[in-house]
Amino acid sequence: MRPRRLPALLVVLALLLAASAGAAKPIAHREVLPNGIVLLVAERPAIPIVVVRTFAHAGAVLDPPDRAGLANLTGALLTRGTAKHSGPELDSAIEFVGGSLSAGAARDGLTASLSVLKKDVGLGLDLLAEVLLTPTFPDDELKRKAAQIQAAIKRSEEDPGTVAGRALAKLVFPSHPYGVPVEGTVESVGKLTRDDVVRFHRGYVRPDTTIIAVVGAVTVDEARREIVARFGGWKAPAEPPPTVSSVTPGATPQTQVIEKELTQATILLGRQAIRQTDPDYFPLTVGSYVLGGGSASRLYSRVREEGGLAYAVYSYANPARYGASFIVSAQTRTAEVPKVVEIMREELARMTREPVTERELKLAKDYLIGSFPLRLDTTSKVADFIVAVEEQGLGLDYADRYKERVAKVTAADVQRVAAKYFAPDTFNRVVVGAPKP
Amino acid sequence: MRPFLVATLVLLLAAAGASAQSSAERVLAATLENGLRVLLQEDHRSPVVSFQMWYRVGSRNEARGATGIAHFLEHMMFKGTPTYGQGQFARLVEQNGGQDNAFTSQDVTSYYVNIAADKIDLVIELEADRMHNLKLDAKDIASEREVVIEERRTRTEDDPGGFLGEEVGAIAFRSHPYGPPIIGFMEDIKRITPEEIRAFYKAYYMPNNAILVAAGDFKAAEVLAKIRAKFGKIPRGTPPPPVLAVEPPQNGERRVIVSKQAQLPIVYLGYHVPNQKSGDAFGLEMLSSILSEGRASRLYKRLVYQRQIALEAGGDYNYFSQDPNLFWFWATPMPGQTPESMEKALLAEMETLKTEPVTEEELQRAKNQVEAAFVFQEDSVHRRASLLARFELIGGYADKDRFVERLRAVTAADVQRVARTYFSDDKKNVGVLLPRP
Repeated sequence: MRPRRLPALLVVLALLLAASAGAAKPIAHREVLPNGIVLLVAERPAIPIVVVRTFAHAGAVLDPPDRAGLANLTGALLTRGTAKHSGPELDSAIEFVGGSLSAGAARDGLTASLSVLKKDVGLGLDLLAEVLLTPTFPDDELKRKAAQIQAAIKRSEEDPGTVAGRALAKLVFPSHPYGVPVEGTVESVGKLTRDDVVRFHRGYVRPDTTIIAVVGAVTVDEARREIVARFGGWKAPAEPPPTVSSVTPGATPQTQVIEKELTQATILLGRQAIRQTDPDYFPLTVGSYVLGGGSASRLYSRVREEGGLAYAVYSYANPARYGASFIVSAQTRTAEVPKVVEIMREELARMTREPVTERELKLAKDYLIGSFPLRLDTTSKVADFIVAVEEQGLGLDYADRYKERVAKVTAADVQRVAAKYFAPDTFNRVVVGAPKP
Repeated sequence: MRPFLVATLVLLLAAAGASAQSSAERVLAATLENGLRVLLQEDHRSPVVSFQMWYRVGSRNEARGATGIAHFLEHMMFKGTPTYGQGQFARLVEQNGGQDNAFTSQDVTSYYVNIAADKIDLVIELEADRMHNLKLDAKDIASEREVVIEERRTRTEDDPGGFLGEEVGAIAFRSHPYGPPIIGFMEDIKRITPEEIRAFYKAYYMPNNAILVAAGDFKAAEVLAKIRAKFGKIPRGTPPPPVLAVEPPQNGERRVIVSKQAQLPIVYLGYHVPNQKSGDAFGLEMLSSILSEGRASRLYKRLVYQRQIALEAGGDYNYFSQDPNLFWFWATPMPGQTPESMEKALLAEMETLKTEPVTEEELQRAKNQVEAAFVFQEDSVHRRASLLARFELIGGYADKDRFVERLRAVTAADVQRVARTYFSDDKKNVGVLLPRP
């Protein structure tokens, strides 16, 4: 590549930014555009690529009860036709320059992702703006996509992890949309109409709940100019953004066995927990790491290293915007299910009964703090991270606060929080596999 | 701060940035006296390093009756040495905020640690130690055997795609060790003795059969000196025996049909093709992109999008294969479609490739996609290091720079010619999975 000289204007801009940045460089620039879009920009100049993520509060939590899968279908259809281009034309345009443009919904939001070489960022942003602002949801595309989603749901019944996860979500969040699969069911997807999709998009994909993150070989000023040019005129609908209620406490813990002709059983234990805004989240994270976080964890040691009972065994907290869960998971041969469940329960109980050792505590904290740079070492990871902290309302200094909070956790904190969230009898249990060896 | 000073500082930073970028393109390559090949690439964008050991041993090097031994040994590499006992490797890596893992393929066994750059000394120490001093204790082998068996259940016994893939491998190769599965047959995993594992370790784990690759925020010359100090002490070993098997020509169609509890059928097709040593490799690589890269690719567009007969469909060529291997096609029929019609549709696509040249747009798009993918790879130190290793394994890391250029030279006539040469109807290996409810 030929070296290029910096245009004078960019040098001046760099001066202004350098001067305003101050000592501790924040992970991203943040500003709110007049129409409510939160614009986040992180410069990573060395590699000539740009990644853009948009996030709208238009996730499956907003699916009407009899329309499960609506957010998912809406997300999948955004790239299937706009006022200017058909779906195949969009595919050809972005792929011809080696880029990618995709969209899809999850529980809390609808995300669109663009990755392009720096030289193609104009084209990429044009297409991104089209799919968010002027999707046409053609009837034939809707029929096609709905059939594909239904087939994928059918096939996912083959995957014991997916089957177990769906069953567990229903037990943990019995009266909240989090208990319903994002993709819906074969039946519910069959009922979705174009009107549903158009209404969902018009009501919920709106500037005043949208985050746009631009990361890569781009300056804050360039990013602002390009985003304002395409999204500045986007207006929010008159009605206010929807509200979603947080999860309500779970019902009495249940056990469910789903029989499948398999040689191995998938075991999931799960219950509601807390999210990052709760101060107890940090002791919970440390406790989860000691219990089943890494290759030195208690569950890994007993179930895998000593027992040879499983290839995969772990525990983790799964926070979302309106609620959170805590999960313990393992896969083991059918005959050993009772033994593995017993070990899981024993180790959960031990966390509540006695403090973790200083050695365990230190290992967990050292890992959680020390591995943070690895969470931010690519352009995509930075984009994901800044969108997540903004979306969850954690603040762009979250990385620093996370490290501080984790560092302060004591063994007593872990035991106190474990007493609240790790008592084995408070967990729902799902087992997918053969009932008998 | 006075503007003048700020300006100077920014210009200096800009200059530093530019020189960092150009030096990042350089690789420090060295071969130690004991034969260890070392490739180091500086990349100062994030304070992390990806440190990888690639051993030239995989399932390709296994004997009948001892399939899976390379992968079994990969598991044992985490079970300790006299210096760093059971669990110490993982504990030390985690304590220092690192993430580690490993994989075994047909051709190689690869270990990586991604970690904060200032912890590289620890990783050098640990990897040098386990290259030569692994304990391979019989008791550890016994418990790990159960873990490997559970891994096989997850990947093969209870996964329809993995299950069928193993059957197609078995019919496609009569002589060459690419036939048996990487994880090994269950009978072999259960049978392999500690003595065999120790002998396998001794035969293949030695400096002159390994490549050490690191990319990240370090000074290459300093790291090379450290590597020399730790790895230099390990003696050169007797070169491992070469793999002599050459797969004889296939003389007729081979077919395997399996029935398994599943939701949808699966169709696999495998054709014997040459590896990168053949001039046709670039045509095959282009063909693979044209067939399956993105939604505008041929199999997706025709079978999934236009005709709506497949839930997914694709083709894959392994350019990096040490010995000639298979060009794979796969498809999952939509509900209501039969595997017979799916196979016919795939074969019809192959006929089209043989009779009509691909369009200039298709060819150009595939080239642009490969070129852009190379730029995107540079974004991650982990992928950067992996790519260097992959090219080094097949002849030299510097070939990486010529790869895109060679692909650019492929013509539509080349693509048509390779399709005609290798996708002959009477030389196909067909696998069909029929779902049982």
